[in-house]
Amino acid sequence: MSISVGTYLPPWGNFQGRVLGYDEDALTMAVEAGRQVVDAGGAVSRIVFISRELPLLEGGNSAPLLAALRLPDTLEVVEQLGGAPATLDAIISASAGTLIIAVDANTSAGAAAALVNGSSPLVLAGRAQRSLPQRTRHADGQSFRDDDPRLLRESGVRISMSAVDLAEKPLLIAGLNARDAAVWSAEPPPTLPTLGASSPIFALAVLIDSARSGLVGAMEQATLSVAHFDTAGSTVQRHEPKAQKPAARKKAPGGDIKLSLAAYDRAFKSKVGWHAGKCTACGLLSTPPRYHCLGCGEDDQWELAPLPRTGSIYTTTTVHVSVPSLESPYTLAVVECDGTDVRSLMHVTDVPPGQVTIGAHGRLVLRRVAIRTGVPDYGHAFSPDAVSVQEGGAA
Amino acid sequence: MRRVAIVGAGMTSFGEHFSRGIKELIPMALGEALASVDKGMDRRDIGAAWLGEVGTTDGFGAGILADSCGLLDIPVTRTENACATGQDIIRQAIYAISSGHVDVVAAIGADKVRDTSSTSTFWDWMAQTRDMAWDFPLGLLAPANFALHASRYLHEAPATREHMAMIAVKNHFHGVKNPKAQLRSEITVEQVLKAPMVAEPFGMFDCTPQSDGAAAVLLVAEEHVAKYTDHPAWVLGFGLGIDRVMHQHKRDMTTFTCTVKAAKAAYAMAGLRPRDIDFAEVHDCFTAVELISYEDLGFAERFEAHKLVEARDHYVGGRIPINPSGGLKSKGHPPGATGISQCVEIFEQLRGHSHNQIEGARIGLAHNIGGPTAASGITILGKERR
Repeated sequence: MSISVGTYLPPWGNFQGRVLGYDEDALTMAVEAGRQVVDAGGAVSRIVFISRELPLLEGGNSAPLLAALRLPDTLEVVEQLGGAPATLDAIISASAGTLIIAVDANTSAGAAAALVNGSSPLVLAGRAQRSLPQRTRHADGQSFRDDDPRLLRESGVRISMSAVDLAEKPLLIAGLNARDAAVWSAEPPPTLPTLGASSPIFALAVLIDSARSGLVGAMEQATLSVAHFDTAGSTVQRHEPKAQKPAARKKAPGGDIKLSLAAYDRAFKSKVGWHAGKCTACGLLSTPPRYHCLGCGEDDQWELAPLPRTGSIYTTTTVHVSVPSLESPYTLAVVECDGTDVRSLMHVTDVPPGQVTIGAHGRLVLRRVAIRTGVPDYGHAFSPDAVSVQEGGAA
Repeated sequence: MRRVAIVGAGMTSFGEHFSRGIKELIPMALGEALASVDKGMDRRDIGAAWLGEVGTTDGFGAGILADSCGLLDIPVTRTENACATGQDIIRQAIYAISSGHVDVVAAIGADKVRDTSSTSTFWDWMAQTRDMAWDFPLGLLAPANFALHASRYLHEAPATREHMAMIAVKNHFHGVKNPKAQLRSEITVEQVLKAPMVAEPFGMFDCTPQSDGAAAVLLVAEEHVAKYTDHPAWVLGFGLGIDRVMHQHKRDMTTFTCTVKAAKAAYAMAGLRPRDIDFAEVHDCFTAVELISYEDLGFAERFEAHKLVEARDHYVGGRIPINPSGGLKSKGHPPGATGISQCVEIFEQLRGHSHNQIEGARIGLAHNIGGPTAASGITILGKERR
C-alpha cells in the first residue's frame, strides 16, 4: 500500500513559473514524469493520463505514451480532461498497478506521475463538486476568464471547504495560489510548482519527502477533493532541473511542412520507443532498422531491440537560419548511444542553442521534433547532463 | 574501349537570371559550346544528350533540352545525382561513346534555383535528399549537412575557422577575373568571420550563393576528334563514389568517403597520382568542404590541409591552384550546371585561354560532392591524350 511518485519540471522558467520548451507538449512531459517511475522498476498495468492540454483531441495520445514509456501497447490508457481534484480522485480510486500521469502544459508547467502499488494509500476524506466557472475553454480552444479573486475565495474556496467539513485543516492544498493555500492549510505550506492536474502529486511528493501522513486537498475553481494519505513506503524520483530563461527563438513565417503519414507510421515504433532493428541472424543493430543486414547479408530478419537512452555527441552544429515549422536557432547533433556503436541524428534540447560541444554526455528524451500538417512528430532529442553544458556558450 | 575528348565547352554566366528561364539557359550554354569548337560543329552531329538537373523548373527536363535546343531526333536523358550531377552526366556520356553506340554527346547541366524563393531554396532541396521520417523533420539543411562534418573536422584537425575563411577569400580573389562569375568582389578574412551565422561553423560568407545557370560540354569519340579540333581536352579518368545517406552511419565524419572512392577510381583509370594534377576545380559549396577535400583528393596529408592554405599553394601561381574559376563560392552554384562549368574552366585552362590562366596547365581535376554528403563525381582532363 504505497505510491511511487515521479516528477518533471521543464528546465525553462519565468517569474510566473516553469514554461514548456518549444519542443515539449503534455505528452512529452507525461513521458518525462512517467519514466521516473517506470525506469525505477514499477509494474504498470493501466494508465490514467490527466491533463487539460491533451495534444491530440481526436485520439492518438496513448500510443506514443506507451511506446516512449516502453510499456506494452495492450495496456488500457484512460485519457482524461481534468485538473487537481481529478488527479487526487484518480489516485484515491486507483486499482493496483495504475499509473496516474498528470500534466500541466499551460502556465506553471509541470508533470507528475504516481504509480499505485497494491491498494491506494489515499482514502477519501471529503469532496465538493461545485460550479464557479471563472475560467472556461471551449472545444475550439477559445478561452474566457472572469478574473475576480475575491469571488473565487469567498464563493469558491470558503464554501467548498466548509462543505467538506474536515476535522482538521489539510497539511497541503494543491491548486490554490500561495496566499489562499496559506490560509487553508494547517501550517505555512511550501509553494507547489504547478496549479493544475499535476499539483496534487507534487503535494504528495512533499509529504513523502518529509515522511508526514495526513490530509491533502486538491482544488480547481470551486471543486474540492480531500484525501488522507499514509506516506509509509512511498517513494519520490524527481527530475526538476534548475530553471533558465527561455531561449530566444523565432519561427519562420509560412506554412507547415508536409508530413508523410505512411513514413511516420513506419518509423513510429523505433523512433518513439527508441529501438534499433536487431538482425536475428548476426545481432547487428541498425537505426533505423534495415531490410538488408549490412553485417551478414540476411534479408528481412530483424526484430526491434531497445537502445540505451544515454549517449554522447560525436558532432554537432547549430542552425541559425529559419526553417519552416521549426524555431531557429536549433542545435543538431549526431549522438552515439552508450555501449553501442549506434549513432543517431537528433536535436539538442533543454539548453539554449549552441551550448553543447563534441563529447558532451546526456540523456535521450522524447520531444516533439516538429509539427507537420498538424501532427505532432515525436522523436528523441539529446538532453545534456548538467556538467556537459558550456558556460556562456555562443548565443 | 574508345577514348573520349571534350572538343567544345561553354556556359552562361552564373547568377540570378530572373529574366531567363531554363528553356533559354540550356540553349545558350549549348550555343556557346558549339561556337567554341575550333573547326565548327553542326548540332545535327550530336547523337545523344544528357541533361544534368537537380531541381525541375518548367517541367520535364529531357524534353525541355530536346525542344529548346532543336535536338528532337536523338535520345535525351535527364540525370539527377545531387551535386555530383555534372560529373555524372560526363561519365554517362563516356559510357555511351566508349561503348560505340554514339560518336558525339552533348552533356548539359542546368538549374534554375532562383525560380524558388531565396528563403526556401535550401528547404526545397532538403525534401529531395533526406529520410522523411528521421532526417527531414529535424531541419537538416544543406549547410547543416556539411557543418556536421566541418565541426568534427575542426575538432580533430588543427585547422580553424580562419583557414576556412582563407578559402572563401581565395575563391573570391580568383572569381573577380571570371566574367561568368556571380560574386565578383574581393572579401577579407575578417568579413568572412564576422558574417551572420548560417549553420555553425559556417557563416554566410562560408556558403555558396544561390544561382541560376547552364553549362555544356561536347564529348567526341577519339577517331572523330580531329574533325573538330586540334586542341581537345582528353578525358583521362573519372570516378563516381557513393556513401551512406544518413550522417549517423558515416563512421568518420572528418572525411568525405564518397570523394575518396571517386578519387581512387579516377586516379586508377588515369594512371595518375594526386601530385600529377596541375590544378583542380574543387566543390566548395561551403569553405570547409574544399578544405577537407584537399585531403580526400590527396593534395594534402590527413589533417594537414590548413598547411596548404597557409602556404597559399591553392592560389593561381601556387603549387596546386584550386578553383581558378572562383569556385562555387564566387562563380556560383546552379547544382546541375556546376560540375559541367568546372570542366568548361579546365577545358579553357588546358587550351591556354582562361581568364585566370595557369602557366603550363596540362592536367586538371574537377570534383563535386553533394546530397547528404553521399555522392561525389570526379573527372580528370588532360591536354595530352597519354
